[in-house]
Amino acid sequence: MALIRKFLTIFVRVWFTAKMAMQGILSNPLRSALTILGVTIGVTSVVSLMGIGEGARLAVIEQFESLGTNVIQIQSHHASVVFEPEYADELVERVDGLLVATPIVNTKATMKWRRAIGSVEILGASSDFPTVRDHKLIAGHFFTSLHVKQRSPVAVLGYNIATGLLNGRNVVGYTLTLNGQTFRIIGVLAQKGNGVADNIDNKIVIPYSTALKLDDKRTVSEIWGKAPTSLDADLAVVQLSRIIKKKLGIGAGSSGSPSVPTDPGIIEKEMLLKAAAGGYVVYDSVMPYPGSGSSSGSSNLSFIGEDIVTITNLNQLVEEADSANRVMTLLLGGIAAVSLLVGGLGIMNIMMVAVNERIEEIGLRRAVGAKQGDLLLQFLLEALYVSIIGTIAGIVAGVWGLGIFENLGYETAVSMHAIKIASAVALSSGLLFGVYPAISASSVPPIEALRRQ
Amino acid sequence: MLEIIKLKGISRLYKIGQVKVTALNEIDLSIEEGEFVTIMGPSGSGKSTLLNIIGCLDRPSAGTYELSQKRVEKLSDSALADIRNKYIGFVFQRFHLMPALDALGNVQLPLIYRGVFGRERRKRAKAALEMVGLADRMHHTPSQLSGGEQQRVAIARAIVVEPTVILADEPTGSLDSKSGSNIMSIFRNLNREQGITIVQVTHSEEMAQYGSKVVRILDGQIERIDKVG
Ligand SMILES: Nc1ncnc2c1ncn2[C@@H]1O[C@H](COP(=O)(O)OP(=O)(O)O)[C@@H](O)[C@H]1O
Ligand SMILES: [Mg+2]
Repeated sequence: MALIRKFLTIFVRVWFTAKMAMQGILSNPLRSALTILGVTIGVTSVVSLMGIGEGARLAVIEQFESLGTNVIQIQSHHASVVFEPEYADELVERVDGLLVATPIVNTKATMKWRRAIGSVEILGASSDFPTVRDHKLIAGHFFTSLHVKQRSPVAVLGYNIATGLLNGRNVVGYTLTLNGQTFRIIGVLAQKGNGVADNIDNKIVIPYSTALKLDDKRTVSEIWGKAPTSLDADLAVVQLSRIIKKKLGIGAGSSGSPSVPTDPGIIEKEMLLKAAAGGYVVYDSVMPYPGSGSSSGSSNLSFIGEDIVTITNLNQLVEEADSANRVMTLLLGGIAAVSLLVGGLGIMNIMMVAVNERIEEIGLRRAVGAKQGDLLLQFLLEALYVSIIGTIAGIVAGVWGLGIFENLGYETAVSMHAIKIASAVALSSGLLFGVYPAISASSVPPIEALRRQ
Repeated sequence: MLEIIKLKGISRLYKIGQVKVTALNEIDLSIEEGEFVTIMGPSGSGKSTLLNIIGCLDRPSAGTYELSQKRVEKLSDSALADIRNKYIGFVFQRFHLMPALDALGNVQLPLIYRGVFGRERRKRAKAALEMVGLADRMHHTPSQLSGGEQQRVAIARAIVVEPTVILADEPTGSLDSKSGSNIMSIFRNLNREQGITIVQVTHSEEMAQYGSKVVRILDGQIERIDKVG
């Protein structure tokens, strides 16, 4: 019974202390509003800056993802290292994590459409291209392996090219000429937007065999593979680098010690698999061993220290870019959080003034039975109310500001992360900077408080 | 009669830098339940200091103090706050009302710290305001009240907790003589009809006539004690 009585007493005191703290804020509305504004500005800048940073991050991810997920690029950067197109199938067979793979031919051709003539970028690929790139068609169909086998003159158009030809009307079934050869348009790719280092919307995709014929070539310098999961992609990179090392004449698994080249027709130098910086594999690259450059004269690998073959896991590129952007976003948030501290100092300033102004009130409350804890709570709550109201207003203003940015054409994202950080910093700075004024309010001896004029 | 206030050898020193000021010097004073005591003395003689110690707002530097047979001079701040809340009603020269609250709100303040719930609190505050003749001024804020009315609100705030003793430090010091007499009549009624012990400080011999005895203080010491009438 006594316990319940005691609890109710505390309840009434705390309830009224909370109410009186609110009255304290309302007693000087302009001053409170300005202090709240200080907090609001801080929270708004954290929420909006981090939202903009987050938006930029998502935009980059989107761009990478337009290249397809779990894609592995094998690229040769040297004229002497080339792949037979059939090597793509061989790799699929030998590498467990590889679902499909396509040789890639990048070239240009002169295109004639009705009376117009222009240069166009050509991408030669196998019929697996849509699978590798997660690319859908919006009209017609993609070419088949039979088309590839027969070097058929069929073309699948990138979105921008297709819409440019007949003002958006369906072009499937029409023909155009590339380097004088007539091609039948059999499909149109879905729009991807401006991707990273790849402009597929403005390209024409044809069978790689047909493309090689256009170029008068037999080999490719690029192969793209697709893994079912990102874990498979990681495993595939490891296997691919071992296989290609071997093909280039480097002993498997002996990146440190030189081994006898097995295919002197391609490469006569000892090579080394370069581990990527930072402890994890960004991409593996095969490069000439810098210490043994002058021993043989018959090599056509005239450069040293540059990548010959790179095996790039696009997932990891995404992760790399993503983590860089994350750091950037946090940095922006951190800078904005400094303004939150300034808002906190504003709270402290105003609370010190309030304690001084209301010293008579403090003395009177003590005289009629308020304990130090009651006054501590009252002034702490006042500071906390300011930061709570400021935080809520700041979140609303920040989200609203992000909406404006979105309308201006920037990509933004309301980040829960930013809201959490801003609220935590604002509320804890309210507490932190409210504690000192509250302690000084509660520790004035009552007789002093009542004497002061 | 019961001695509700018993001071023995009470001293109070103030240190200002190196200088020591003896505000009270070994005071012995007993006040019985139901008395109406007036403390008089020149300015700076220690009257307020004495009243503050009696009211548990301040602690003596030396000596013992029994309030209702309980030693209080060594109690914690929190315990002293409870004693002030339960047993003591203060009336100050400068009223010390909260400007944002109306009369009813001001009178309720001590009951909040006692944990009395809303309806009960308002009922008691109204009764206290009626007792000082302000039933028709309950919703006036201090700025809408005259000095005498403000002091009556302060008295209502003091009696709302049903205190054993009311301590009034120059309660008529800021009032004209008519309002002052009015306050004194209220004190006399509270003392006679409710048996509340009253200790007041005043400079006015006229106001002192309302009490039952006068304690004269000089330089922190009791000079003499006179019976009134
Ligand atoms: N807080 C204080 N610090 C230093 N000296 C004080 C303080 N309060 C009172 N005094 C001194 O104590 C003496 C008594 O003061 P006070 O009790 O207020 O006198 P009275 O109320 O009789 O005018 C005075 O000399 C005063 O200067
Ligand atoms: Mg005085």
